Amino acid sequence: MADSSGATGTPTANGPSASRPSTRAQVDAPARRSSWRAQMEQARRTWYLLRQNTLAMVGLGLLLLLLVVAIGSFFYPGPSDSMTLYCGSYLSTATNCVKVCTYVAGQPSPGAGCYVVSSFEKSLVPPTFTLSPLSIGPLPLGSLATVPASGLFYNLATGLIKGAPWSLGISVTIVGSGALIGLLLGAIAGFHGGLLDEVIMRLTDIFLSIPGLLLVLVLLAVLSTALGNGLSFVGRVGVLVGAFVVTWWPVYTRVVRGQALVVREQKYVEAARAGGAPNRRILRKHIIPNVMYPVLVQLSLDVGTVPLLIGVIVFLGFPIWPSTPFPEWGTLSAIAVQNLETFVLDCATPGVACTFPWWQILFPGLTVFLFAISVNFFADGLRDALDPRLRR
Amino acid sequence: MKLHVYIIRRALLLIPVLLGVMTITFLMVSAVPVGQRLESQFGVSKFGSGPNVLCSRFGLTSPNGSRFCPNPWYWNGIRSLGLNQPVPVQWARYMYNLLTGQWGYTSSHSLLPSVGIPGGIPVITVLSWYLPYTLELAVISLVMIWVLSFPIGYRAAVRRNQPFDQGARLLSFSGFALPTFLLAGGTLLGAVLLTGGFTHICGGVATPWDLWYGLPPDPTGYACPPYNGIQPSWIGQYGQTSPTHFPTVDALIHGQPLIALDTIRRLLLPAFAVAYGSVAGILRFVRNSMLEVLSLDYIKHARAIGVPERTVVSRHAGRNAFNVSLTVLGLTFAFFIAGFPVIELIFGLRGIGLLFTYSIRPPYDFGVIFGTTIVFTIIVVIANLIVDILYAYLDPRVRLG
Repeated sequence: MADSSGATGTPTANGPSASRPSTRAQVDAPARRSSWRAQMEQARRTWYLLRQNTLAMVGLGLLLLLLVVAIGSFFYPGPSDSMTLYCGSYLSTATNCVKVCTYVAGQPSPGAGCYVVSSFEKSLVPPTFTLSPLSIGPLPLGSLATVPASGLFYNLATGLIKGAPWSLGISVTIVGSGALIGLLLGAIAGFHGGLLDEVIMRLTDIFLSIPGLLLVLVLLAVLSTALGNGLSFVGRVGVLVGAFVVTWWPVYTRVVRGQALVVREQKYVEAARAGGAPNRRILRKHIIPNVMYPVLVQLSLDVGTVPLLIGVIVFLGFPIWPSTPFPEWGTLSAIAVQNLETFVLDCATPGVACTFPWWQILFPGLTVFLFAISVNFFADGLRDALDPRLRR
Repeated sequence: MKLHVYIIRRALLLIPVLLGVMTITFLMVSAVPVGQRLESQFGVSKFGSGPNVLCSRFGLTSPNGSRFCPNPWYWNGIRSLGLNQPVPVQWARYMYNLLTGQWGYTSSHSLLPSVGIPGGIPVITVLSWYLPYTLELAVISLVMIWVLSFPIGYRAAVRRNQPFDQGARLLSFSGFALPTFLLAGGTLLGAVLLTGGFTHICGGVATPWDLWYGLPPDPTGYACPPYNGIQPSWIGQYGQTSPTHFPTVDALIHGQPLIALDTIRRLLLPAFAVAYGSVAGILRFVRNSMLEVLSLDYIKHARAIGVPERTVVSRHAGRNAFNVSLTVLGLTFAFFIAGFPVIELIFGLRGIGLLFTYSIRPPYDFGVIFGTTIVFTIIVVIANLIVDILYAYLDPRVRLG
């Protein structure tokens, strides 16, 4: 690789090397400032175009809301790695508890008596819905609310709030590290070409041909067996993130490489090379900044899908968390659908009342959905704003 | 380049990819603890716990007077696995085993008995039972995706930014942003509520999701899928042979067209769930490429010379947009097949997705895990090959350029 010492042509020991830093500073400083200004200008233009797009703004608003919830969750009472259970059950962090009766007068009772819940959780305790083979829909509310008779009861609202930093943090970490690896490898492959390109792209092909979720699950199974039970909680999360990153980098590598092939042929790269810039500098100053935008769009598209995938892993029965109702959005929605099994079995058994757990499905499902869709809207808007061909 | 030259060249490119995938599985197998490797390789479960054992416990004499002796079962196992040989030799041996169909055995203490498989059965045999059903599901899902995405995408492009287009956008967003289990569970629950029944006319209940399949009783006299049998398809349960393990084909071989139709009918709902989840990307792409094509000059020309609008859309523009969208269909294949474990778990279908699901639960069954992974990869790779060949056939520029 041609270095700057070769370009100056005077590789002597003391004289030039002492003066070189100052000359480089003189040459670089104005250029860097003007490129910074150009980037600001570009960002302002993007923001202007983004503001014209209603859907993108809706997405951005929702994302900011979720971010506020995530930050606020640290000030919300309760532990952050397990979900607060109802009053009167196992753990209780709530102070004001009220009595809620579990059955409607005249209906078969799923379990005897009344439960105690905290007063601010009252609204999330379901109203009485009973599903029978013949009639579907709400029955008149006989008492305040009903709680299913058996199982582990957690506070859904607390879980969703406490889960925000987990979901957002894990998604951003996974997709961010995948994008970083893909950015470097893709830029190098596209810029250098030749054997290096061939090797990296074949590797990418191999990883892309294994269905992503399967690879994640296999890696999780292998790693958790190999590392055994001695893994700490942080270690478990690390393994989860690592397994996802292994499956995610090829996507970015392919995107970046395609873009780098285009950028490589541009006049400014040619000019930089004619000016004697070394490869590393061209890569850092010209290639990588110019392939960033498609990566940014792909990245924001992918962030929203991570909670969905974590949910699928939990749903399939792989134990990724230390405690089962772990406050992570995907996990919560997976547990909700798993709970449907009890509901259907109850309804199939004559004489047993069954409550359709709609609130368990609706709230986590809606959260996951809103996260994915807001990120998607924002990414769509970003793509429109960044791609000059689509502006028209 | 002639088409067959292109096909051969494209097929030869599969070899390094498949070898690479097998190398990745080799690396992962190497990370599995020896005891579990021995079991999945040879179908035997007793090999001792570690490299050393208490001498008194096993009646061994220590070579150097210590309380611990080398565990002969363990070291024999190491030798029979070839772990004392250099890594390239291990790799060659692993590849040889894979290529000659020695994929190991099911684990004796895994959860697979609840799917109906005892331990110690060759993985490749188990896969041959379960794979055909998945293939049928894949084919029907592909047809379903086709049926859903192309007409909707065309219409959305023609009626750009009108209510139909917005509806299609909503559909694709909801398919994209909801987890697979929620989509599939919702589909199933909706179907159950629509048909209005929870009564299960079959005897034992395997999963509640099977309730849907109890209704309505079939005119063929065959009412319920078998729940606890070894064979995934119904046919072995009735004292009949199952020559291909494809339920539909088997039924036709036995001269039962009604049962074949019934098998397909049972796959429609799962296929719809698969299609709903993966139609999102394809729909957007079909719409966009259609929009692009519709703005081209030859479309304007066709309209100008008085070709009816329907013909313009379906024949002139549709053909071209279809060619482009075919590639996306190939690319999304890997995604939609990754959803199969969930779909098969929810709908209680006995395909390799269900097999995979049971094998990745804690007493892991590594033989089955790696077997299903390789099979899924082969399916994806072959699907991509077919798509590429179709694309080259439809668009000569690909194979010429």
